[in-house]
Amino acid sequence: MIIRWVSEDGKRKWMYPISRDIHTKGKIVKQISRKAKVIGITKVNIPSPLHPIIPYFILLLEDEYGNRMPKKTMKERKIGETYEIKPAKSDGAVIITKIKYDMEEYLKESLNLLHRYKISQEDKILIKPTIIEPAYSYQATNTNPNLLDALLNILKEKGVKDIIVAEQSMLGNDTIEAAKKSEILDVCKKHGINFVDLAKAEYTQKEYEGFKFNIAKGFFERKIINLPVMKTNSQIGISGSIENMVRVTDADTQKRMFAEDIEKTLPKLLKALPGFLTIGDATLGMHAQGPTSLGEPAFLNMLFVSTDPVALDAVFAEMGMLDLPAYVKEASSIGIGNANTKTIEIVGEDLEAIKLNLLAADKNASAHQKIKLIDGKANPYVFNSALQMASKLIGLLGEEVNLAIGSQITQDMLNGKSRIVAYGAEAIEKLREFGVSPVAEIPEDIDGTEKIMLLKSVLENPDKKSINIADKLKSKIAKVGAKIKGKF
Amino acid sequence: MYIKGVGMTKFGIHTKTTQELCYDAISEALEDADMNLEEIGEIITSKGDCSNDGERQRLFSAVLSSILQDKGIPIIRVVAACSGGGAAVWNACNSEAKNILVVGVEKLTPLPTKLVTDDLMMASERVYEQTEGMNFPAQNALIAQQYMMRYNASPKDLALVALKNHENAFNNPKARFYQKKITLDMINKSPIVASPLRLFDCSISVDGAAAAIITKEKTDIEIAGSALYADRLPAFEAQDMTSWQGSILAARDAYAQAGISPKDIDFAELHDAFTSVELMAYEDLGFAKKGEAKHLIRKGKTCMNGELPINTSGGLKAKGHPISATGISQIYEITRQMRKQCGKRQLDRARVGLAHNVGGVGSTVTVHILKHIGG
Repeated sequence: MIIRWVSEDGKRKWMYPISRDIHTKGKIVKQISRKAKVIGITKVNIPSPLHPIIPYFILLLEDEYGNRMPKKTMKERKIGETYEIKPAKSDGAVIITKIKYDMEEYLKESLNLLHRYKISQEDKILIKPTIIEPAYSYQATNTNPNLLDALLNILKEKGVKDIIVAEQSMLGNDTIEAAKKSEILDVCKKHGINFVDLAKAEYTQKEYEGFKFNIAKGFFERKIINLPVMKTNSQIGISGSIENMVRVTDADTQKRMFAEDIEKTLPKLLKALPGFLTIGDATLGMHAQGPTSLGEPAFLNMLFVSTDPVALDAVFAEMGMLDLPAYVKEASSIGIGNANTKTIEIVGEDLEAIKLNLLAADKNASAHQKIKLIDGKANPYVFNSALQMASKLIGLLGEEVNLAIGSQITQDMLNGKSRIVAYGAEAIEKLREFGVSPVAEIPEDIDGTEKIMLLKSVLENPDKKSINIADKLKSKIAKVGAKIKGKF
Repeated sequence: MYIKGVGMTKFGIHTKTTQELCYDAISEALEDADMNLEEIGEIITSKGDCSNDGERQRLFSAVLSSILQDKGIPIIRVVAACSGGGAAVWNACNSEAKNILVVGVEKLTPLPTKLVTDDLMMASERVYEQTEGMNFPAQNALIAQQYMMRYNASPKDLALVALKNHENAFNNPKARFYQKKITLDMINKSPIVASPLRLFDCSISVDGAAAAIITKEKTDIEIAGSALYADRLPAFEAQDMTSWQGSILAARDAYAQAGISPKDIDFAELHDAFTSVELMAYEDLGFAKKGEAKHLIRKGKTCMNGELPINTSGGLKAKGHPISATGISQIYEITRQMRKQCGKRQLDRARVGLAHNVGGVGSTVTVHILKHIGG
């Protein structure tokens, strides 16, 4: 698709989405073409970080209006050939679109390229964005509010009247605060759409292979459009189409899902859910230490759209040259979708041509260089609060500490590790089970300041074998101090 | 405006910092002008925003102030990608100060090729070009292809441009390829970077600095014309991709200021970032009719002993292309030719010279015409 913004009198053209002709103050007309001729081609043999795989080709395309655009591809074409993106032929296709400034137009185009997927005005729609923590939109942690805005415009244009946006943030965070900061709430207000905090939703129980999921009722009453941010995840590899569904369940379910191994329970959840469309938000996208704001925006400027959540996640992982996460493989093996990118129908961009090295998340890293995680797939509350504890101690020098969290800790993960601190009931229990004596056991349900003080006492005392009464007392005094400070 | 003095470092691989390279080029220029730093009323510096060079010195005007230990001389920085040097000279020509020091610098060799490619690519359009792999060789390859298809030019013509500039650089002690023999066979067998462009069609990334002192006081060299034109960023947006409006308009303006026409030019330093760019510039600057540039190179008219010697320094191709220093190094070469200081590559006739400096793919173009009016 080539878009130009043309002045009313046709004298000027812009490749940027301007709304008014600065010369005449006149209106702007959008010029869109979907077919172009190849008028030039070059084979490039020089790599760069954005384009690590060589050789690649760049086609110079020209449409019926004489508008031109370069297009990277891995397939050689001949000058004079017609270039056109044809709609998908299969239900499980993944549409990959690079956005050229006009998010709404490219989203519309992506939806039109889907095979047999239709939205009618009678549909009751539930949009499930990603809003995991209070973070600004530029941090790429939560769904881009502009993408939600574009989607709502498209749905309204189709005459859809009954739409809700529903999400709950990561356990331990306040959903409404996160929705406000991410600007998602503003978009909902602008469109007069209800925002539903799923933490307070009515749930219905569904079971798959013995695992009981309490799932928000709306997911069985409405047509679901999943709108996740595509990002790396230090616990499970990537967050995307599948992972975004964790938070359609209640807190208890989420904790059980993690306790029983999230990589196995997540695919089961998808079995318990009805099918849905995913619009993978890679407008920014995140890499490095995602999924929280410890990660970095990846500035991908892309959309991944599919009714197959497995295929979509698999394609995203391959695009970023990341390992295919175990839960995506598992989801594929139980028949939820196709994780084999060689057999997935890909429409739009050439997958090989958009590959780049996203920074994979380090599953042992925290924001503090000396505090390493031993992550036994802790639930989001424990995981997030562990990261927050480590963040609060940045700048404090000390001896390396291994912070063990979660119920899926294995003996292998503990081998060769010293100065272990068990954080959270699950890790405390697991370490006792293995007969490992940690330097400290920090329960997850004590005050935040207390937790930090206990971790600090281990970090800064290399010879400490275990925390003692004095450490505990100090942490309690610090808690009181922090509270008094907060009051005044 | 007039040129009082010029200086430049050798273009190549340097371990010195950018400010030290500037210091060396400025010292030479001051000595050439027989001036002290105190006599300078304004400094205009040109340096790119290279994010991978390891120096992390974005507020370069202040860094320059620190090394020069100047007493409050205003220093401003001009960034215009590869035309930064030309843009600095153009700014100097429009300055109120009596004596203006222009200095351009870049360090590119600490970077592996893929990072240089990435850094330079940031001068192209992010969404339409960078995400589509349009690094500068690729952009110029597509333009060269359009040019060759339309005007029946061939890669052989491009090779002749490369050969000529390498022969010139052979005799330039400040060129990267000084005393390095490059043959037509080597050029033709060099690997394809972005088809149809080969390695030897591309200029070489080097470190270096160049400086010039521009003055209102009459000297032997007059800047008779100074023009800068800005055009759209992506070349594919131009109505005619085989011609750069910025070059045409800047040249037209500079010729008019100098009261001359293209046929009055004795020699020129052109922006041969790619050999195809030099060929196109012959036409845009009025040295050849549209589509006929190939005849100039085929007949040797732009060689050292031809009617219109082009890039006697070796050009960006073989002298080297330290981005923001390039435009000022062109002024250096023209000045030195006019003052008969070019040794083995000295031209017999060097009275009127033209410098053509381009940022992006025709996006920002400066043209300067220098006249030798003394001696």
